[in-house]
Amino acid sequence: MGGEAEARKLLEKCVERLKELLPPDAIVDVKVKGKDRVYIEVKREYLPEALEKVYWELGGYLSSMVGTDDRSVDGHYRLYYIVSIEENVRHIQWKPWVVVYTKVPWDNPKFKSTTPKVPAASWYEREVKDLLGLEPTGHPDPRRLALPDDWPEGLYPMRKDFKFYERPPRQPKPYMFRPEKVSEGIVQIPMSPIHALADEPSQFRLFVDGERVVDVDYRMFYVFRGLEKLAEERFTYNQTSFLAERVCGICGYAHSTAYCEAVEDALDIEVPERAEYIRTIMLEVERLHSHMLNLGIACHLTAFDWGFMELFRIREKIMKVAEILSGGRKTYGMNLVGGVRRDIPKDKAKKVMELLKTVREEFKKALDVITSNELFLRRCEEVGILPKKVARALSVVGPLVRGSGLPRDTRYDHPYAAYKYIRVKPAVESGCDVFSRLMVRAREVLDALDIVEHALDQLPGGPILNEEKIELVEYAKGIGYDEAPRGENVHFVVIGKDSRVHKWRVRAATYNNWPALPYMSRDYTITDFPLIVASLDPCYSCTERVIIVDVKRKKTVTVSYARLVHLSRKVSQNPTHTPQLL
Amino acid sequence: MAFIKLIEHSSRRGVATHPYPEKPFEVDELYRGKPVLDASACIGCGACANACPAETIKVETDYGKGVRRWTIYYGRCIFCARCQEVCPVNAIELSREFELAAKNREDLTVVAEFKLGSCAKCKGYLDVSIRHVELAQKLLERSEIANIMQELARYMVMCLKCKRSFFVEKLGEATRG
Repeated sequence: MGGEAEARKLLEKCVERLKELLPPDAIVDVKVKGKDRVYIEVKREYLPEALEKVYWELGGYLSSMVGTDDRSVDGHYRLYYIVSIEENVRHIQWKPWVVVYTKVPWDNPKFKSTTPKVPAASWYEREVKDLLGLEPTGHPDPRRLALPDDWPEGLYPMRKDFKFYERPPRQPKPYMFRPEKVSEGIVQIPMSPIHALADEPSQFRLFVDGERVVDVDYRMFYVFRGLEKLAEERFTYNQTSFLAERVCGICGYAHSTAYCEAVEDALDIEVPERAEYIRTIMLEVERLHSHMLNLGIACHLTAFDWGFMELFRIREKIMKVAEILSGGRKTYGMNLVGGVRRDIPKDKAKKVMELLKTVREEFKKALDVITSNELFLRRCEEVGILPKKVARALSVVGPLVRGSGLPRDTRYDHPYAAYKYIRVKPAVESGCDVFSRLMVRAREVLDALDIVEHALDQLPGGPILNEEKIELVEYAKGIGYDEAPRGENVHFVVIGKDSRVHKWRVRAATYNNWPALPYMSRDYTITDFPLIVASLDPCYSCTERVIIVDVKRKKTVTVSYARLVHLSRKVSQNPTHTPQLL
Repeated sequence: MAFIKLIEHSSRRGVATHPYPEKPFEVDELYRGKPVLDASACIGCGACANACPAETIKVETDYGKGVRRWTIYYGRCIFCARCQEVCPVNAIELSREFELAAKNREDLTVVAEFKLGSCAKCKGYLDVSIRHVELAQKLLERSEIANIMQELARYMVMCLKCKRSFFVEKLGEATRG
């Protein structure tokens, strides 16, 4: 294929350019793998410069960062910054993955923070500090991120000498929300521990001046389950694909696909074409139900419950499609390393095609009604604006970045599974607001219907699973990626001993998106906040309560969920009216 | 105008909800529901326990009672059908049953026991069930090495300990010439 030669050439160009930009002794080692990946080792002291050049000069987006504990191998920790080069090379089919990595010695676990130069690295470096005990010096926000507040100091769970069954004693310590934001007249609103409308528990601190949100701070990772640790110590590599499916309640299949791809990449396992098509079909089915859920919730939050009910009714047909194709409504359990486990017989494909036809018609009608509803539009348009510049700096992914006018889509940028054969054009909207994101999703629903129908029609013959004996190569590294409904998922795998993985790093889409929340919510009202969070598409549920603390008057008022919804609706029906919360 | 559209659409919709507990809910014919063991076919080899990602199936050998005990706890099951896939005798199958709620934990556990074979040499228990040995014999008879079957049958019905000492004895004989 011509695309591969082009990709290789670009890869070489990237390496050469980087060599020019950095001092001559900075780069220690360069290893090209396959057509589109390169691992570049840099000296520890040059790490921030190297990442800065790759990110801003070569036009990369930070896709993931992984810290591994390789002390048992050569006495070092390693830090891998996985960057996807996308800017100015949109036309190339396989865009390069540049992995900048460095060694950190065991007796001096410190490295210079790259966050001041590349803001997208902030969360990753805080996480590495928590879990591996590698200190990013000069990080602007060194608070805890992943570990609970009562976890003892100096104990790092992702180090290899910590066992998964250990239960350390608790040492409660309060978490400090950024105090400099509290000034005269600014009121703090904690939304916690179960946040309004997100089903993951997370704590938000809204700083409001009257009804206007001045700033937002957050504390998350209350459901940090240590799945990666469990996989590394207890699961075999083939069982982990099922564990990966349980990373997320909505886009589980995308995670399991990304995990399998990472192992396949590490061990150079070929996947049969039919399996690639089946994976694509299932991924798109997942996208369909996830986007419909998000659109439905957006309607619900703007008190337009007809849209919510109608979209969920249509979504039920997609759930049926998933049931017919995989035997399960939500957890498909289809993936194994080397292919898929379940074939799609012709009669099933026909049944699915018929269902999809009705879905398309009904969805188009519903969308027409929703987008012609003025109340809905007035709640969504020009709310939660995420400027293109911020989106670029934070490497946000998925409909969020496409809604801000950047055509990032892993299906297009790094074709995996059957997207090599079925080219997808990213759905881009330039409004940067909640409405743009919803429209991106709506367009992707229609695209996904096309893709599923096309793939079912063009399903090639042949085996569905590569059943050759798998040779496990110790410490082989692999990157797996796919475009989940919420954006790009990146998995990084290092193969270990005894059919286990030495390191498995899951990076879910929302991980890159959360840091953008404060930028999106500033200057909008409290009642817009749930909608803005929803447009980011985390998972949803309902809150029990919201406490409002008036710092000035030292008064606490508890607002029930019902009252919050009531207030939200009041605004939705009369945008000029601001309800009195206190 | 927008509201006219809305009213027009909603007036056409009937009831979308399925009257579930009153009427049974039909799932697809290849639905992955509760895994059911056909104990008359199972040989207790433990392939399912090995493959199960959720560790919901366990197979252990009880030398005291002389049984191989197969246990499934549905509370942990993730309905992935790996057990069905790896079973050499098709003894486990995922049914279409999905209503698994129970009042006691114990109600979610199913146990099957298979008698262990006895060692031809020491008369103690073998490490595998009788059925497992029978199946192996049957497979061997059909295979290319059926002619040395007689020789193999002696090893097959020995426990691990006897096999080991037998092997050492033979090895000694061979090296002594």
